[in-house]
Amino acid sequence: MTLTYMNIMLAFTISLLGMLTYRSHLVASLLCLEGMMMSLFIMATLIASNTHFPLVNIMSIILLVFAACETAVGLALLISISNTYGLDYVHNLNLLQC
Amino acid sequence: MIMHTPIMMTTLISLTLPIFATLISPYKKRSYPDYVKTTVMCAFITSLPSTTLFILLNQETTIWSWHWMMTQTLDLTLSFKLDYFSMMFIPIALFVTWSIMEFSLWYMNSDPNINQFFKYLLIFLTAMLILVTANNLFQFFIGWEGVGIMSFLLISWWHARTDANTAAIQAILYNRIGDIGLILAMTWFLLHYNSWDLQQMLALNSNSNSLPLVGLLLAAAGKSAQFGLHPWLPSAMEGPTPVSALLHSSTMVIAGVFLLIRFHPLMETNTMIQNLTLCLGATTTLFTAICALTQNDIKKIVAFSTSSQLGLMMVTIGINQPYLAFLHICTHAFFKAMLFMCSGSIIHNLNNEQDIRKMGGLFKTMPLTSTSMIIGNLALTGMPFLTGFYSKDLIIEATNTSYTNAWALFITLIATSLTSAYSTRTILLTLTGHPRFPALTNINENNPALLNPIKRLTMGSVITGFLITSNIPPTSPPQPMMPFYLKLSALCATALGFLAALDLTLMTNKLKMKNPSQVFKFSNMLGYFPTTIHRTIPYQNLLMSQNLALLLLDSTWLEKSMPKTISQAHITASMTMTTQKGMIKLYSLSFLIPLTLALFLMM
Repeated sequence: MTLTYMNIMLAFTISLLGMLTYRSHLVASLLCLEGMMMSLFIMATLIASNTHFPLVNIMSIILLVFAACETAVGLALLISISNTYGLDYVHNLNLLQC
Repeated sequence: MIMHTPIMMTTLISLTLPIFATLISPYKKRSYPDYVKTTVMCAFITSLPSTTLFILLNQETTIWSWHWMMTQTLDLTLSFKLDYFSMMFIPIALFVTWSIMEFSLWYMNSDPNINQFFKYLLIFLTAMLILVTANNLFQFFIGWEGVGIMSFLLISWWHARTDANTAAIQAILYNRIGDIGLILAMTWFLLHYNSWDLQQMLALNSNSNSLPLVGLLLAAAGKSAQFGLHPWLPSAMEGPTPVSALLHSSTMVIAGVFLLIRFHPLMETNTMIQNLTLCLGATTTLFTAICALTQNDIKKIVAFSTSSQLGLMMVTIGINQPYLAFLHICTHAFFKAMLFMCSGSIIHNLNNEQDIRKMGGLFKTMPLTSTSMIIGNLALTGMPFLTGFYSKDLIIEATNTSYTNAWALFITLIATSLTSAYSTRTILLTLTGHPRFPALTNINENNPALLNPIKRLTMGSVITGFLITSNIPPTSPPQPMMPFYLKLSALCATALGFLAALDLTLMTNKLKMKNPSQVFKFSNMLGYFPTTIHRTIPYQNLLMSQNLALLLLDSTWLEKSMPKTISQAHITASMTMTTQKGMIKLYSLSFLIPLTLALFLMM
């Protein structure tokens, strides 16, 4: 495990922590989700390049596609919340309690 | 010789002459109402010798005349039974009708259809006398239906008024429910006793069956406005005051009680029917006395008073004293008709004001009317040695000393004290105090057509009780001995009611009126009985039928079966099963826990 991989895994871990521990804005969580996806994409591309196995490049393409779809869904949710409440404060999302 | 048979037939037939006179040729020389009144007066005078002969000889007669029909098992003839009950009742009915017709000459003077009014009154009187003298149930039924129809026509005399039409239909409907009982009894008698003749039916009283007697009780409850079938009687006050005086106080409403009195040999042996009659009568008398306490229309107060006295008559039949009940019928006719006529005099003189809260101070301006009213109310409450005393006190004594239902006896005594209470209230509000009507009403009682009937009935209210009880043939024996306090119980109850009403009225006269309590509302709204039966139940029926016919299929198949059910089921399920509280940050923070655990476990 070279330093590069450890660097990228650290980036992934920091983004994960950032996604799980957000304070008030939902968009912060979505941004960190993007960071996770980016770091995973770079890791996949580096692995494909370092192990001289170009066929693994497909994993990175598919990962990117799915990350983009997921981003779209997340942004749609964010916009609908913002339409209802005006802001994306997380305090607002308590309708599901019984 | 027995002369009173043809004399009585003369009486009865002479009453029908004015009716035929309208069919043949209108009478132009004298006024028709005057002619009718004179006919009734002559009929009264010609009935007096018959009754006197009957009292002298105590000979009952039955007249069998025209053969109507003869089937294989049933003979129907036109037969008149002139026994104690009909012979005593006919002169009284004719006297009261004569007085009321003379009163109507003054009261309905400005009515354009006064001839028709008198014809209706005469047809009613004929039907009533047919009922009273009927020897078989078919003729009785003719009279019964006849008085019902004339009641309808007379209550809706001012038929442009919707309240009058409603009241007339109400009277017909409630009487019809009673007719079911009468027809049940008639059918049972036809099937089992094979005859509709009173002699044959009353002779077979050894094995008394309850079913026809229940039918007769239902018929009496319908016609005599007992509890459960009573709302038509206060509503019948929509008719003119002479109609109220004749029909709904003296003659028509006692037809039900008269029926039970006629069948008293059958009821003697059946204690269940006697108990039913007693409880029904006691409930009626107390309930209507409570309702009469807070009414504001003077005619309705007298109507409820009538209903209460009818309940008292049923109580008397319930303790197996039919002769006392008949005595009460006879004495009650006098003072009740007079009370109605005094009310009519007050109403007309105050320019059609019927609310007692807007009367007052009539004691000096209408002396004869107020005197008669006070005498009538005293007779009603059973003042010693006036007319009502002879029947009412005997009834209370008989109930006190009979082996009867103590609860029924108790509430009859309470109703007696309430009788004097509402009578006191009526007198205090209408006659005493300062006038509460507009100042420019011209009050005069100078017309002899008004004064003479009231004077006659006043004399009747004072002395008739004494006259009748001194002269009737011996019937069931009165109670000879009872404890002193029981003897005075009726008098004490009456005095108690009078004093309580007097004190309450005089003490609270100047106070501010507070919001009505629940008991007041119960009494004023007639126990909510008409509200429930006439409005709520039909409304619920109509609502249910509308929903069933129009709403049910559409809303079920188009809305409720699929979409709403699914959404409702989901909402209910998720509300039941979910435990979320919407704490998103905490939930996403808790992702870290398994991560760190996995990390530490792997290391």
